[in-house]
Amino acid sequence: MKKLFLTAAAASLLAVTGASAQTKVGVLLPYSGTYAALGNEITLGFNMALEEAGRTGEFELVKEDTEAKPPVGLAKARKLVLEDEVDVIMGLVSSGVLGAVRDFVDGAEVPLIVANAGNDEATGEACSPYITRVSFSNGQVSRPMGEWLAEQGVKTAYTLAPDYAAGHQMVDAFSQKFTEGGGEVVGGEFTPFGQTSDFGPYLTNAKSSGAEALFVFYAGGEAISFVKQYGSFDLKEDLPLYGSGFVTSPLYVAAEGDAAVGVIASLHYVPTVDNELNTKFVETYKAAQDKAPSEFTIQGYDAAKALMAAIDSGASDRASIAEALRGLTFDSPRGPVEIDAATNNIVQDVYIYETVKEGDGLTQKVLGKIEAVRDEPNGCQLD
Amino acid sequence: MDAGFWVLQFLNALQYSMLLFLLSIGLTVIFGLLHFVNLAHGALYMMGAYLGISAAALTGSYWGAFILAPLGVTAIGALLYFTLIDRLRGAGPMNQVLVTFGLIFVFLDIARLGWGDIALGLDAPAGLSGTSNLLGVSYPTYRLFIIGLGAVVMAVLWLVLARTQIGAMIRASVENGDMAAAMGINVGRLFFAVFCVGCALAGLAGVVAAPVFSATTGMGISILIPTLIVVVIGGLGSLQGAIAGSLIVGLIETVGAAFLPSFAAVASYLLLAAILVLRPQGLIPARGT
Amino acid sequence: MFHQTPTRSIVLVFALVALALYAIYGGYFAREIVVEIAILAILAISIDVVAGFGGMVSLCHGAIMGVSAYTYGILTAKLGYPALPSAVAAIGAAAVFGTVVGWITARTTGIYFIMATLAFGQMAYTVIFKSRWLGGDDGMGGLPRFDFDWAGIAMNKSLPFALYALLLVLLCYVAAAWVMRSAFGRTLCGIHSNEPRMRAIGVSTIIHRARAMGFSGLLAGVAGIIAGQHIQYISPELLFWTVSGEALIVVILGGLGTLIGPMIGAIAFVLLKHELSGYTDHWHIVVGLVLIATVLAGGRGLYGQIEHWMTRRKARGAAQNA
Repeated sequence: MKKLFLTAAAASLLAVTGASAQTKVGVLLPYSGTYAALGNEITLGFNMALEEAGRTGEFELVKEDTEAKPPVGLAKARKLVLEDEVDVIMGLVSSGVLGAVRDFVDGAEVPLIVANAGNDEATGEACSPYITRVSFSNGQVSRPMGEWLAEQGVKTAYTLAPDYAAGHQMVDAFSQKFTEGGGEVVGGEFTPFGQTSDFGPYLTNAKSSGAEALFVFYAGGEAISFVKQYGSFDLKEDLPLYGSGFVTSPLYVAAEGDAAVGVIASLHYVPTVDNELNTKFVETYKAAQDKAPSEFTIQGYDAAKALMAAIDSGASDRASIAEALRGLTFDSPRGPVEIDAATNNIVQDVYIYETVKEGDGLTQKVLGKIEAVRDEPNGCQLD
Repeated sequence: MDAGFWVLQFLNALQYSMLLFLLSIGLTVIFGLLHFVNLAHGALYMMGAYLGISAAALTGSYWGAFILAPLGVTAIGALLYFTLIDRLRGAGPMNQVLVTFGLIFVFLDIARLGWGDIALGLDAPAGLSGTSNLLGVSYPTYRLFIIGLGAVVMAVLWLVLARTQIGAMIRASVENGDMAAAMGINVGRLFFAVFCVGCALAGLAGVVAAPVFSATTGMGISILIPTLIVVVIGGLGSLQGAIAGSLIVGLIETVGAAFLPSFAAVASYLLLAAILVLRPQGLIPARGT
Repeated sequence: MFHQTPTRSIVLVFALVALALYAIYGGYFAREIVVEIAILAILAISIDVVAGFGGMVSLCHGAIMGVSAYTYGILTAKLGYPALPSAVAAIGAAAVFGTVVGWITARTTGIYFIMATLAFGQMAYTVIFKSRWLGGDDGMGGLPRFDFDWAGIAMNKSLPFALYALLLVLLCYVAAAWVMRSAFGRTLCGIHSNEPRMRAIGVSTIIHRARAMGFSGLLAGVAGIIAGQHIQYISPELLFWTVSGEALIVVILGGLGTLIGPMIGAIAFVLLKHELSGYTDHWHIVVGLVLIATVLAGGRGLYGQIEHWMTRRKARGAAQNA
């Protein structure tokens, strides 16, 4: 991965002399701390798209580590804008960091392409013509799960998620659609974020609630602990597990092992999505990395795709790049996508998938697809 | 909430208590004997988990990891003892806290360099992966194994301390190190042995915890605080104190998590503060301190 | 016992002037670094007051700083009070928090004091972390800087803000030096070196300890205000115990019990961190090793070591002259 980045950086340096209109991209991602793996994966996807297009020379990348801490992220964003004078910022994994930099990039009028952070407000009531999201919003990913689960005839559910903004938004969106579909959320809890390692007490509560299904949102290390512990309690029969797709993300599902088999979740991308672009994308990635790509790879990849498309449409400076991103449509390995002109959030298909065994490993079996999921403006006024 | 619910929550609490016990017993005995505060104890726990994952991959069996990880951590501990710990014994709590705080940073990056940033998992051994029926509830066998293991370690340590000559030497040295040395006990060698056992138990806790929790680079720092709380509540240097402390903290955190998640987070800090103010020597103080 | 030697005054002035020049001629990033150094320097000086002179190694100073920053945030961003009185109130809140913790923990020493401060610091961290009103883990934004437009100073520009931060470092240093030279400072040193004797001559050690923590908390509160105004965004991270640990590293790196040492330590630490993070994501390991090496080298720290050499040379010179 480092090597890939170095080649890209070297190529961009070589091209400095030749290219007249190089675009300076600030890459604002966590490279240390809890989310370092996500930051690396997004960077990888971004560089992959540039290399595939043979356009690494057109872009100069300035990488900054947010450590997934809001104050650090804001300080680094200022540095990118005020010292490096970048044309566009790409990245942001944690919602907290996005919340922290939101006012600054909006005020400085620097386009920001969000490649992960999912807080609903960023493309809702706190939206900005300068903030474009190519990843997902929390509500967008978990609403389809509520809808789909109710359609399957499941009547009652219990919810668990970490006690921070994303956890609350995922659960709220799920509960809303699940209730609208005729289901009932009979209970739930929010676990202390980053401080919960033993989910035993919560699983016991969930079991005694008598619900038919368990809906959860966890990510990273917490997801692995949670799924493994869920598996060890042998609840698959009594209390099947459904989730917002990050809970069994291809990035770390291998660490969850057999416990993840049978878990059904909703996500905007899985490596088994069936279309030509994706087949090629997965092949290229596998050849270089010897594993399957994840939703984080595709987010980085599409951030580069969107940026290149904006530049191709004639955009060259901060204002014109932001303007060109709005309303953009292009084909992604995850299916056709559109940047909603009303909110600047991505409009995309969301997949319901089940984690299944394949040979020695695990893979994702797509059970259903909800097409072109679009967020309501939720108070967003871009003009 | 039927009886089964209470049994399950009780087992959850017991399981967590036993993990805390494995960690805190090493920390507390090292303190009792060497008067040394090892903030890097949590880092050794983390190394136990990571070494266990590698050992399991290498030997193809969980039991390989179960044996090799504690040995590996003991080797790390021995290295630390000769390079740092022995030199710092008389250096006062601040220097000890600082050097071992520095070690936390060092181990954090060693783990990142060696095993990457993605959290890793370890599978429980085949025979222990299902659930068992106990007291009318079905409970993960592996968690029962942790409870049993904790009880066995507890019993063995108790026997060694109370019934053997080495135990008598350790107790004498905790009570009065100078006098023990004057009586002809090789205090240096004894200290080294006890330090190694403490490290081995931290490594054991790490490899045992890995199948339940995933191995992450942050696990060492996050387990450190509960472990310190256990040790101080029970009484620094006291074996019975570590047992009592583990059970109390395990119970508070589990019951709190099940009923009052918002209160659970501060409950153990409140208890720690109360103990420090009202009874700084801990609930069951070690004699001689 | 604290002495403001001529060497210390020279080093202080030299360091502050160097930082100011760096901020003036160094561009945006230099100014960010100067502010970062200023925050860490004040926090380290406040820890040095209790740890270096009173022997009270505190792991709750990050939390004290955070109490100040959050009080400032609540009063300004949430409740809409003007910045200047809010800052005064926030620093007062930090001093009160420090005094209370100091008073409750005054009977404990050594490792027990470390653990007790850890407990109180983590409690404050957890309460703020859990509070949804304060933004929880996501933090709180919109903290204002002071408005000095009437004086023609634009605080929203990076240079005036960096110079303002340096001015506060100077003020905090002078305040700390003044207090440590006073009868109170001397009594505190006395308690540290022989507590029973101080008690025997009628000194209330508990009140002195609590006051020391209160004064130290006041300084940490100033650091909290700069931290909040700098990024104009705060998060619970600020209160986590490792922040205090890092500041302790800075104190040791520079020289414990010298007041000027922590400032030198802050400069060295921040520059080292930024240089290293340019090369590697694994800068923690280097910081850890440097810390261990500093303690093993005698624990005098950068400035302490230089002072040690100087007094030795002077002593040798005096011996030769005799």
